[in-house]
Amino acid sequence: MKRLAILLLALALPGLAAATNYTVQSASSTLGFSNTFQGETFQGRFEQWTASISYDPANLAASKFDVTVQPASVKTGDSDRDSALPGQAFFDVAKFPQAHFVTTGFRQNGNQVIADGKLTLRGVTRPVSLQVNFTPQGSGATLDVAGSVQRLDFGVGSGEYADTSVIGAEVKITAHLQLAAK
Amino acid sequence: MSLRNNDRQWGSISKFFHWIIALAILGNGTFGLLMDLAGSPMRKINWLALHKSIGLTVLALILLRIVWRAFDRRPPDEPMPRWQALAAHAMHGVLYVVIVAIPLSGWWFNSVTGKPLQWFKQFNLPALGEKNDALRHFAHGVHEYLFWFLVLLLLAHVGGALKHHVFDNDNVLRRMLPFGRLRQNPPEGDRR
Repeated sequence: MKRLAILLLALALPGLAAATNYTVQSASSTLGFSNTFQGETFQGRFEQWTASISYDPANLAASKFDVTVQPASVKTGDSDRDSALPGQAFFDVAKFPQAHFVTTGFRQNGNQVIADGKLTLRGVTRPVSLQVNFTPQGSGATLDVAGSVQRLDFGVGSGEYADTSVIGAEVKITAHLQLAAK
Repeated sequence: MSLRNNDRQWGSISKFFHWIIALAILGNGTFGLLMDLAGSPMRKINWLALHKSIGLTVLALILLRIVWRAFDRRPPDEPMPRWQALAAHAMHGVLYVVIVAIPLSGWWFNSVTGKPLQWFKQFNLPALGEKNDALRHFAHGVHEYLFWFLVLLLLAHVGGALKHHVFDNDNVLRRMLPFGRLRQNPPEGDRR
């Protein structure tokens, strides 16, 4: 009986420790970025991406974001740019059809939660940290993340496009996710 | 040579405006027509940025020139038949309008394509209208055909100046030439 209790407890503990798994409501969620071109800020977004989100503000150790993006689905409001971005010099989607971000850990920085993770883009993997703003709403939540990357770290806009006086070096990443509990 | 215009010739400020704008328009117009030779998209982006920057500079210069023209008295006409003087003045008026219209139409074309407008990577200028793909082709046509119209005007303008210089032996061209020397013995009636 005592053994059984220990066994049950052992089984229950990871369950208690697990963060909530959420489904992303894709219709009301956005994953985008902004950068500058010739001194003007432009906004971009990806139309195809999936995210698996497990999050518990009280148990950051058990939380995890895992996001897969199809860079070919980029839209920036400019047809020239949209046709150039999937190309070899930018996302090179023929060779690297997916970008991937997965968290390696969460930490508290004052009141701000930071998600540390690894972003793989255009075949290059680099550490990326995102600010996390999580707001529970009923059984679901909204999740806003923000961070930035240096595009040349990933070879995005290589060769003659590397000129950061024309295309900004720093790309701000933002995502707004509407989450429903699974 | 004085900065201001006098009774006999254009001052160096008027000459500067005239020739720098003439050079910039011819250079930038040719550059604009050759834009498709850029080869790579990024080079075309940079060429276009340069073309736009030069065009904006021309716009600023022609506006300054018009202001200067309004404040500085112009030299009286060289002696010539009245119809010639009227035609020359009409031509100058149309030239001013077209020289203002070309960069403005480029600015408008740039606006309907939704592209940024930056002056030599220093600062950005606002759009003159909403992005509108349906107007893109039309706006480009307006911009380009205005330039061809200017070329026609220019032929008449240069032709007139050369006619006065070569056949009438007057100072019409000389008084606008940089460092140009006026004819010592102008035809009778040139002095007022």
